[in-house]
Amino acid sequence: MLVFENIMLALTAIKSNKMRSFLTMLGIIIGISSVIAITSIGDSAKGVVGKEFESFGMNNMYLYPNWELTQDGVEESDLITPEDIEALKARFPEDILYAVPNVSANSDTKVGRVEGKFSMTGVGADYGKFKKNLSILHGRMINKSDVAGGKDTIVIEKKAAMNLFNKENAVGETISVVINGEMKDLTVVGVYEVPSSLFDSMFMSQSYSAYVPYPILVVGDGSAWAVELYTNEKKDQAALGNEFVKYLSRIKDKAPNFYIFESAESQMTTINKVLGTLSLAIGAIAAISLVVGGIGIMNIMLVSVTERTREIGIRKSLGARTNDILMQFLIESMIISAIGGVIGTTLGVAIAAVGMSFAKIAVVIDPKVIVLAVGFSAIVGMFFGLYPARKAAKLDPIEALRYE
Amino acid sequence: MTHEIIKIEGMTKVYDTGEIQVAALNSIDLTIHKGEFISIMGASGSGKSTLMNILGCLDRPTSGHYYLEGVDVMEKSDNELSAVRNKKIGFVFQSFNLISRTSALKNVELPMIYGKIGAEERKERALELLKNVGLADRSHHMPNELSGGQKQRVAIARALANKPQIILADEPTGNLDSQSSVEIMEIFTQLNRKEGNTVIIVTHERDIAEFTDRIITFKDGNIIRDEYTREVGQC
Repeated sequence: MLVFENIMLALTAIKSNKMRSFLTMLGIIIGISSVIAITSIGDSAKGVVGKEFESFGMNNMYLYPNWELTQDGVEESDLITPEDIEALKARFPEDILYAVPNVSANSDTKVGRVEGKFSMTGVGADYGKFKKNLSILHGRMINKSDVAGGKDTIVIEKKAAMNLFNKENAVGETISVVINGEMKDLTVVGVYEVPSSLFDSMFMSQSYSAYVPYPILVVGDGSAWAVELYTNEKKDQAALGNEFVKYLSRIKDKAPNFYIFESAESQMTTINKVLGTLSLAIGAIAAISLVVGGIGIMNIMLVSVTERTREIGIRKSLGARTNDILMQFLIESMIISAIGGVIGTTLGVAIAAVGMSFAKIAVVIDPKVIVLAVGFSAIVGMFFGLYPARKAAKLDPIEALRYE
Repeated sequence: MTHEIIKIEGMTKVYDTGEIQVAALNSIDLTIHKGEFISIMGASGSGKSTLMNILGCLDRPTSGHYYLEGVDVMEKSDNELSAVRNKKIGFVFQSFNLISRTSALKNVELPMIYGKIGAEERKERALELLKNVGLADRSHHMPNELSGGQKQRVAIARALANKPQIILADEPTGNLDSQSSVEIMEIFTQLNRKEGNTVIIVTHERDIAEFTDRIITFKDGNIIRDEYTREVGQC
């Protein structure tokens, strides 16, 4: 019924009061654009986190004792021994692709007059294969014979090579470090690079990263507080982690939940959950401004109804039914807020795009959010337009015609 | 043999202003035949405008009956009354009541929009109606670009949009100079004589009333005189 005529009528009314219509829309524009900008920024951040985790392998996992259950600190018997690791590998041959005690060491070093500090991580033979974002620039990664023979080798990052040796290709150079109280001369067998990551700034570190064969870092019988795994990435990581933990706890004769696991996936889920909650909370605050915008529409529609009382009377005298008048004003308020919604969406997407381009992050815009935002703004228009429209529709034609 | 298009029996309209009750119409009986040209006279507050509003289905009487083409209008719903206003009655007002910021053409189209007539047919008929009142070249002018007489002619064209049988005009010349008044009255006369419309005009000017065939005079909510100015009823 008269929908097309009412839309034309609404557009004429909006056009004839440009400034007022714009100011009315502004509330909706601000509300919608902030909701869209915030959710897009949240989604973009999630996308970045996902990429980041993928780059170093979503199948990365650590098993270690649950600190809350070790009353007096970690005891000798709680540590994970090389036998435990072998047992795990034997029990899950399909699912554990890499398992090495999680050992590391820090040491100062000096090359000529240049001082530096190394943060060394013990790795197994295939580490380079699993750590996907690591690229060898010169030489090679720690290999089987390094690990098997416990050779004094080291793979250093490009920054260390440049600073200590003044060249990128430092293969063949020697670095003196102290490991477990013992002085060792390590031969550089490779130089690697890891693309800069979002987390670089999170882990502020003065030291250079380096990889060494894990046997040279272990103490005593080779037990460690944790074991680093790379798992079958085709399987559900949480399910795998639970199985590993259950088995490990059993062979160590501990309570079933004595050991716990931490996977890249579970970390990502946690971070995403935080990001999601955060953008939802801020988005909800932004949504309040939509309600404020709706009240603005209601206010201006009430003014408009009063101004056009006589016009309403004329229309009624010419045969307009109550519903015709109701629809006329309802459609007008819906169009105002829908236009506001479209402008707000454009603005919100633009804000997100500009913001993300400063942060050099790919913009992720969920089309669902846009549909939701524009739909919601039309509903706001309808809801807040209903009262003024009903007021208009119920006017007594004679009173309305007499209105000056 | 003439057809009774409007028949009013014992119609009373009381305005309840809270403290006092004002009887605007006091048990009126009135019969109007199809094709009559009538003026209703009286001082302000005499009840003539109240009668006009009820005749135009804009208002309902407190009691009494109003038969429009034999149907009791009091029993109709609000939406049905809207349809009656749309199809059977054409209104012309003293202050023209054109919708501002809307062209003459669109104003004339308005009753047809509510009558659900298609856009093309609407426009065609609106242009023809404007041509008939001599405003073919003004169809795209806004009301504020038209003179009083022109506005009233647009209003008459609009009143005729859905080909109503009855034209109700409330002081149609009240805001016009004497020359425009005569022109407007001539249009009404034409409508009555040529098209056979029943034309009812409310006025307080005797010389305007002289154009019509029958003058009904109101005072204090009563009809005090109902006279024929010339021989009628020969149809």
